[in-house]
Amino acid sequence: MVTAYLLLAPATILLLGVLAYPVGWEAWISLTDLSPLNVRGPRFVGLQNYRAMLAEPFFWRAVAVTAVYFAVTTAAKLALGLAMALLLLRPSRLRPLVFLAVFLPWAYPGGVSVVAWYWMLNPPLITSYSVLAGSMKYAVDGLLGGGAWAFLSVALFNVWRGGSFTAVFLLAGLNAIPTELFEYAALETHTAWQQLRHVTLPLLRPFLALAVFLSFTTAFADLANVWMLTGGRVIFPVIGTYAYWLGIRNGAIGEAAAWSLSLVPLLAAALVGLFRWFDPREERTA
Amino acid sequence: MRPRRARWRHRLLLALVTLYSLFPIYFITVQSLKTPQEDVFGNPLWIAAPTFENYTELFEGGEARARGFVVLPRVPFLLWVANSALVLAGTLAVTLACALLAAYALGRLQPPGWRWWRRLLFATYVVPHTILFIPIYQVVLRLGLDDTPSALVLIYSAMALPFCVWVLSAYYRHLPREIEESALVEGASRLTAFLRILLPLSRNVLVAAGLFTLGTVGQDFMLASIFLLDRDKQTVAAGLGVMDVSLEELVAVAGVNLAAIPVVILCAAFARGYVRGLTAAMVEGA
Repeated sequence: MVTAYLLLAPATILLLGVLAYPVGWEAWISLTDLSPLNVRGPRFVGLQNYRAMLAEPFFWRAVAVTAVYFAVTTAAKLALGLAMALLLLRPSRLRPLVFLAVFLPWAYPGGVSVVAWYWMLNPPLITSYSVLAGSMKYAVDGLLGGGAWAFLSVALFNVWRGGSFTAVFLLAGLNAIPTELFEYAALETHTAWQQLRHVTLPLLRPFLALAVFLSFTTAFADLANVWMLTGGRVIFPVIGTYAYWLGIRNGAIGEAAAWSLSLVPLLAAALVGLFRWFDPREERTA
Repeated sequence: MRPRRARWRHRLLLALVTLYSLFPIYFITVQSLKTPQEDVFGNPLWIAAPTFENYTELFEGGEARARGFVVLPRVPFLLWVANSALVLAGTLAVTLACALLAAYALGRLQPPGWRWWRRLLFATYVVPHTILFIPIYQVVLRLGLDDTPSALVLIYSAMALPFCVWVLSAYYRHLPREIEESALVEGASRLTAFLRILLPLSRNVLVAAGLFTLGTVGQDFMLASIFLLDRDKQTVAAGLGVMDVSLEELVAVAGVNLAAIPVVILCAAFARGYVRGLTAAMVEGA
């Protein structure tokens, strides 16, 4: 038994040091007014940062936008990923090539894809397609409010890249389902749609749950990457980038910590729900 | 008549998926091959007179130099490539070593509480690292790893580890006990049984974990540009990430495209193993 815990030690220490400790530090800092502008040093302020945050109308808007961003991109990634996985499941001579193409958006080094999407949708200089991109931007912003187009471009980027990962992941999941089950299902159901709903989706459930889980993380990372690469030109009304803005531009590190942590309860709730799907007590797990 | 039509529909869908997956990469590559004149007056989807200016710039930029009235920072591209390879190799070594040890403990030895331990390790994946960089920087400073590639190795390992542990431990857990026990009965130690029997069996799962790590490292721009400031110690992502947003971005695209060549080759070589590995981890010890 001691060996088992010893073997677990390296991974646990690494995650404790690089993730758990920073989260703990963030939690402590969110209770102080730490800021480089405070010469006298940080002071314990209790829940004041949280109270200020909850009183801020912008906070609720940011929470709503973040939740919608997660929900919409995740749903799109699952739908697209499932469609591509089902398409790749059918044997065909072209399959290896198409598979590689589907794999690439995820595997291609981040920079190109970020710049590609951002440039395509928001050309920073006058180029041959800026008029088209500009008109689209004004059409969308006029309809949904300022910044909507920039935000949409991040969402599209995330769906493009995350959908690729989801497709490959779900393809692995579909491969795990015995073919006899599909043959049996073909006899029992009348339409392809019925088969999808009553056979494929229930069998894929653990994989879908795991894909949702993985989708959350990339959704966050992409937001930050795009934001960073564009030099913070656009502040999206979401929790992460606003926290960054508060901490770095305004120096209110304590308040920024409170904002960053405000998502933790949401993520934890999602996690508890998802664990029930993909790591149930019974044997069949992902 | 009907199967033929269905086959064409299938091919059309495959073509659409390929187009969708590759279009952004194609689009930005086309822009990176254009002269400034063509960038403004040409066709956005096509190049009449390709120029490799953006690409050759990467290899000429060892010293600071002026282009027009702008002084450009040094671009020691080959050094960056070497640093990136180093960081990637380090991350793979740390991640896979820690993941194998932990997965063996969780999947084979199963000490009391292993289920929760496994869940907790995996749950750390959902923590958005990008908003934790202030406390992570403190950890890095305390370890004396400021401005060294080792800092990135630690952070990337912590990012890739949860998924790798999950997949590998799922595989080891589903593998029948007898596989190892026959070796143990014949007097082999647990270590030899692991090295001789379990490790070769889990080859594909290791490939999956490795490619996932590669993707994690490749996707990051933000952390690299925060943690590596010395121009000679930077990775490709860090170096290109801090380039001037509008003037130099196509050089950055050229750089990432060049860096992508080995990544794409690796993916093409291991993509099959990746899917097989994921499938193997999910079904009972296939």
